[in-house]
Amino acid sequence: MTSTLAAVAARYRRPMTLGNAVLDIHPTAMVAGITALIVVGLVSAGWVAPLVVSVLFVVIAFLAGRGRSYLGTILKLWLAVGLILFVLRALLVKGQTVLVPLGPIAITREGIQDGLRFSIAVMAICGGVTLFFAIVSMRRLMLALERIGVSPRVSYVILASFQAITDLGATARVVLDAQKARGIEAEGNVFVRARAFFPVLAPVFLTAMSATEERAIALDARAFNNPGRHTSLLDLKTWTGVDTALVAVAAAMVAAAVAGGVLGWF
Amino acid sequence: MASSRFATFMRGYGRLTIFMIPIGIAINFVGGQIALLLKLPIYLDSIGTILVGATCGGLPGALVGLVSNAINSITSPPTFAFAVLNVAFGLLAGYFGRIGVFRVWWKTLLSSLAFAFIGGFCGALITIWVFGGLAVGGGAIVVGALTAMGMDLNTANFVAQMPMDVLDKVPTVLIVYAIIKGIPRRLLVKLPLGWVYLGQPNPRAKKSVAATAAS
Repeated sequence: MTSTLAAVAARYRRPMTLGNAVLDIHPTAMVAGITALIVVGLVSAGWVAPLVVSVLFVVIAFLAGRGRSYLGTILKLWLAVGLILFVLRALLVKGQTVLVPLGPIAITREGIQDGLRFSIAVMAICGGVTLFFAIVSMRRLMLALERIGVSPRVSYVILASFQAITDLGATARVVLDAQKARGIEAEGNVFVRARAFFPVLAPVFLTAMSATEERAIALDARAFNNPGRHTSLLDLKTWTGVDTALVAVAAAMVAAAVAGGVLGWF
Repeated sequence: MASSRFATFMRGYGRLTIFMIPIGIAINFVGGQIALLLKLPIYLDSIGTILVGATCGGLPGALVGLVSNAINSITSPPTFAFAVLNVAFGLLAGYFGRIGVFRVWWKTLLSSLAFAFIGGFCGALITIWVFGGLAVGGGAIVVGALTAMGMDLNTANFVAQMPMDVLDKVPTVLIVYAIIKGIPRRLLVKLPLGWVYLGQPNPRAKKSVAATAAS
């Protein structure tokens, strides 16, 4: 018994590791790296650089072992956001070289170039943001932020929000089914469906608001409002040479890209 | 240090406000989800912002709006450009709450016009400035269609967004009104703007202390 207890204690004494070199990169270093890649993608004028950056993000996701789910998410984004942005621009941006005349609108070379550039640039930003949250869990990010002096109350608000979105979403679905069973119509024309909205959401939201009181007491019992430094059960891996190197490379890349942009290399 | 400043700021709003903010954020999301589930052609994604603004004050409401859009932009980054709208909803709801707009149903209904103006007019402005008039979402298709019919791109944005936002904000403020009516008095008394809905004078105003004690 004592040996297993000791083993558990030893596991908590070590900083948490996720067993993957990319996943274990310090969240702050990760922010620097991804921001640098996005900046590099956006500084040059064409659509090739942001595309390369987007592909690079996918590669990083695979190195982190999260490639499959990341690829799914990002492909959906490309289809839902990127494609629409591109098509609208291609159709509506006016230009000189008409490729396909379509009545009042026309597809022009300028439109296609503008569309490619704009949509791929937006998608590079989306890709970076999505990658960051695919690799860094919210808990690790907030822990890293707390370590550099962000209030534990801020972490509470963020983490509790994610939890509450999941919980309230589930409760709302349960209440929707319950109210349907009681005869509230959730199908039919728009007005019928809109009327179902109130009896579903009002009880869910009221319960959630009333529960805040208990939550306040529960956190008070755990000395949440204690002005001193909060301890945590898990700790992040300490800042390593890899993290420093990553930040240095990121800074160099941004400097080079911005300088290049100013000097007109691209 | 930043942390202590945030703590001092929150203390001014009482203990419960910090717990109301995550609930408000969740309400924003769940409102949107249920609207999708019921296949309603509106977003209903600012209920939490307005609710927290109306019961806790403008700044907590604005915080709900800001964090909601930040979380939303994890999966759909262009959303973040519109965060300022949600922040404005929170601030305006705080002001409206303080002057008692959400106590009367017809004033609540009228307030939807103000929210719709922010959402529609300023939303269209952001679409034009940030996305060059062509953002993403259902509205973009309408804008595209209007432009194809020969309308100016900027006009098309205003024409498409204003009515959509009125349709969105009317049910939003009505449900906020219904929820506030349903909040139990023992919870209301602990919320920063609860005194408005309990018909009490502002407890922070110095001279009203005697009046409260007398009543």
